[in-house]
Amino acid sequence: MTYAVSEIRSVGKPHRKRLSHVAIEPWLYLSPAIILLVVVLLVPLVIGISYSFRKFSAFKSEYVGLGQYQAMLSDQVLGQALVNTLWWTVASLFFQFFLGLGLALLLDKPFRGRKLVQALVFLPWAVPSFLSGLTWAWLFNPIIGPLPHWLFALGLKAEPTNVLSDPSTAMWGPIVANVWFGIPFFAITLLAALKSIPSELHEAAAIDGASPWQRFTKVTLPFLAPTIAITVMLRTIWIATFADLIFVMTEGGPAGSTNTVPVYIYVSAFKSLDKGYASAVAVLLLVLLIAYAIALIGIRRTLVRHV
Amino acid sequence: MASVTLEKVRKDYGAVRVLHAVDLEIADGEFVVLVGPSGCGKSTLLRMIAGLEEASGGEIRIGERLVNDVAPKDRDIAMVFQSYALYPHMDVSKNMGFSLLLKKAEKTTIDARVDGAAKRLGLDTLLQRLPRQLSGGQRQRVAMGRAIVRDPKVFLFDEPLSNLDAKLRVHMRAEIKALHQQLKTTSVYVTHDQIEAMTMADRIVVMHDGLIQQVGAPLDLYDRPANMFVAGFIGSPGMNFLPATVRKGGASEAVLADGQALLLPEGLPLKGGDAITVGLRPEHIRLADDGALKGEVVVVEPLGLSTQFYVKLASQQLCVFAMGRAGVKPGDVVRLAADPASLHLFDPKSGDRIG
Repeated sequence: MTYAVSEIRSVGKPHRKRLSHVAIEPWLYLSPAIILLVVVLLVPLVIGISYSFRKFSAFKSEYVGLGQYQAMLSDQVLGQALVNTLWWTVASLFFQFFLGLGLALLLDKPFRGRKLVQALVFLPWAVPSFLSGLTWAWLFNPIIGPLPHWLFALGLKAEPTNVLSDPSTAMWGPIVANVWFGIPFFAITLLAALKSIPSELHEAAAIDGASPWQRFTKVTLPFLAPTIAITVMLRTIWIATFADLIFVMTEGGPAGSTNTVPVYIYVSAFKSLDKGYASAVAVLLLVLLIAYAIALIGIRRTLVRHV
Repeated sequence: MASVTLEKVRKDYGAVRVLHAVDLEIADGEFVVLVGPSGCGKSTLLRMIAGLEEASGGEIRIGERLVNDVAPKDRDIAMVFQSYALYPHMDVSKNMGFSLLLKKAEKTTIDARVDGAAKRLGLDTLLQRLPRQLSGGQRQRVAMGRAIVRDPKVFLFDEPLSNLDAKLRVHMRAEIKALHQQLKTTSVYVTHDQIEAMTMADRIVVMHDGLIQQVGAPLDLYDRPANMFVAGFIGSPGMNFLPATVRKGGASEAVLADGQALLLPEGLPLKGGDAITVGLRPEHIRLADDGALKGEVVVVEPLGLSTQFYVKLASQQLCVFAMGRAGVKPGDVVRLAADPASLHLFDPKSGDRIG
């Protein structure tokens, strides 16, 4: 033993020198991934943020400091876009979540033809958003689509006009399309979470005297809570930044009534060619979403502690 | 407390019948163990008593009450599951008090009952812990506590010790038995482990292929198994079965495949030339210089307290169990003897016991 200890001491110095090699080596293995991340994520992000401090005109750009951000403060279109984004996100999320949860609960029960129904439920997920947007726009069009006539027949509308052309109802068009498009995501993830609940737990609750509703609130929901928190967070971010459906169906109109922040960014950057201002708005959206994600992750952590 | 009565209880899954007309009477306060290999229908039977599976036919009574159409929560039973099925988001006291909470019991009553059960099971210092912060044995105790708190008429146990390691299993076995002796609540206990059945049961119900094979006190089953299945299932190491033919002379003998003969007990309804299966428990075979059987030792398994060894005989391996050191080694040719009274004889066709 003494021999071993003295030997360790004698090799102490060269060992420390080798340590620097040891410290560098893992970074070399990681370098392809790191370089890729830096090139495709970090560099564009930094460039994007730097754009928000510049003003672009036809062939040149100049540094304007916080000028773009000051302009945002007095931009009423942006204010309207933020309200629209909130409305669009909350309404889409609400219906996607509750309808998706309902579907997941139904699909968790055995019935004839469940496999087929399950496949059908997941189908909207496979349709490109561009195509679903066009199709829904047509469905809402009274000339070729049936929806306005049905709404009229049900007495929900005074006359069979296009909901998309009325500023007070236009947002419902893309929301309905988005709900249809987004239900499968919640149905799939919540169904997977439901399947992971041991059946013995429900049986134990049944013997303990829990009614079906109590079994849902006392057993199912606590089990689903972490999944719900993470999916709601992901979906919120995706919906808030999801411009395809709105742009295809209404292009933000009529009269800016469906103009959300991502649509506004797109229009500013590629229609008005005001890249600096678009970048500043994008940075604002990024900050808002990061704040939201941090809040939700905090909530999730308290939920996960129980499971 | 109550008795449990099963009359012609059947269970079909589609065209497959997993339980065939089961009749069973469990007395008030009795500890009955349902034992059998996987797929024998023992768990299904238990779940039908609990109300988690519907009976396809027959009658299930708890006490005097017919419970076929009564919901699990109204049957006044408590069940301990193999996986314990503790609510992962509730601490120990909430887990144990959940059923009382659902019954809208007073908080003071719930606390008193939970504390009582926790003290009894040594859980009083763990009441604020979540299930995942407990060891396997502690979880097992919480599951038992949850059952005790309800003060049910019948306890149902579905392989409650299967997820524990061997040492803890032996310990919990004794605890459950002690608990039953204190509470004297009618208990139905399902296991595939015949040692659990032997050690815990007042009466054992051996099941196979959806049929009850035999019902009886542990030692009755060991001493007089009704058929080859029960004989092979009860007892460890398992009984040896030797095909043989009856030879009538001055005394009846069983002639084995290789011509060696064993003396049979008197007074059995056997004729010369009858094919029989001789059942020999390993512990009833002994080494003896004048033994009737001769064979070569193949494997020796020393266990310290006892020794098991296998002897090649009549193109079969015969397991022999001896206390202490047997003093044999592989390759030895040994002579073995068995008392005729210790032989079990079976009809090789039906598997039923003869005599």
